[in-house]
Amino acid sequence: MKRLSVIIFVAVITTLVMALPSCSVQPCYEETDPVMNTILLFSGTGETAKADSLRVYTFRESDTLRFINIKGVSSFSVPLDPANDESVFLITLNGITDTAVIGYNRKPHLVSPECGYTILSEITGLWTTHNIIDTLIIENKLVNLDGQKNLHLFY
Amino acid sequence: MARRTCIFFISLFLFAETVAVSQDTVTVPLHIRAGFDISGPVMKFVTKDLISYGIAASADINSSLAATAGIRYSSYHSSDVLYDFMSRGLSFTAGADYNLIKANVSHGRYSAGIGLRYGLSFYREEAPMLRYTNGWGAGETSVPAENHIGHFMEITPGVRAELFPGVTIGWNLYMRLLISAGAGRDLKPVWMPGYGPGTSGMTTGAEYYVSLSIPYRKIKVYIKPKVRYSDEEEGEVTDTGSESGTGFSGFSNRP
Repeated sequence: MKRLSVIIFVAVITTLVMALPSCSVQPCYEETDPVMNTILLFSGTGETAKADSLRVYTFRESDTLRFINIKGVSSFSVPLDPANDESVFLITLNGITDTAVIGYNRKPHLVSPECGYTILSEITGLWTTHNIIDTLIIENKLVNLDGQKNLHLFY
Repeated sequence: MARRTCIFFISLFLFAETVAVSQDTVTVPLHIRAGFDISGPVMKFVTKDLISYGIAASADINSSLAATAGIRYSSYHSSDVLYDFMSRGLSFTAGADYNLIKANVSHGRYSAGIGLRYGLSFYREEAPMLRYTNGWGAGETSVPAENHIGHFMEITPGVRAELFPGVTIGWNLYMRLLISAGAGRDLKPVWMPGYGPGTSGMTTGAEYYVSLSIPYRKIKVYIKPKVRYSDEEEGEVTDTGSESGTGFSGFSNRP
């Protein structure tokens, strides 16, 4: 009977110890926002370019979303619209504006139980005007949480 | 004195021979057991997200080995600020338990050992609501319900004792190793029925079973005799003050 009590006691303690972690809410420490990374390059030489000024924004029905507005930059990162299969960006490079349209597929991705889900994208195509942009090419079509370069912008 | 001791040891090794000092057989009943896991209903009081009911059956193959199989139904539903997730399904495990207690001690009533099982989980998962926020603002979407098959291994050390004839109780810890959640890289289940968090390569926990057992056969188990080195001059050892510790500690068959 004493042995039985010991077994039951150890089992109850073990069960409680195992159960305790599931009761506590764990914080999220992981990156959850995938962004499309673009590097600026000089057309012709292919060398990394540093733009004097860069603004990236988009118009919506009700407002304007400003993603980037900085000076002396050689790369930039913008999120894709997780609610649509297409994002339109207005890119003002050294005061000259071009429009870029990025098409993509979306898929939900579980980051972790603590951080929840995010939306990853796979770029399927792009279109741009050529006021200052010479070429915009896809380097890596997967827009995920790895932080890899996705587009090369030649101007 | 040292010389005398040395001579004694040489003679001891020359004349030493292993002898069987005890031979014995014990009759051990082999059982068929069927039981249910009471930790599942108990855990429902701790965490309301999970419902888990498990039953298991085992059949002794011999005094130390038992074939075992189990079925578990699990239903998981969590509602969070970021997402709602639900999964439910059946998992099956099959494998073997090895009893480390010798037959002459356990007599078929006690077990302390380790089990190894292979598990299959047939489950359905969905995230009816998930919220996201990024530079474009906040939004909601969902992941439709999909069926998947997950695979895992289970290592379970545990103990079992006969409470009274026909009823055994026992608990075991488990360490489950995920082979595949079957849902791809992006939609790993927050909870895979029968396994646990599908985002983790290993899960641990405990189960507590109450089982009914029926003896179906009796076998005679030969108990290996314990051996000792015969030493005709045991008395001299005492005389010299040396220890004859050979590591063997059998019991004598002398009257």
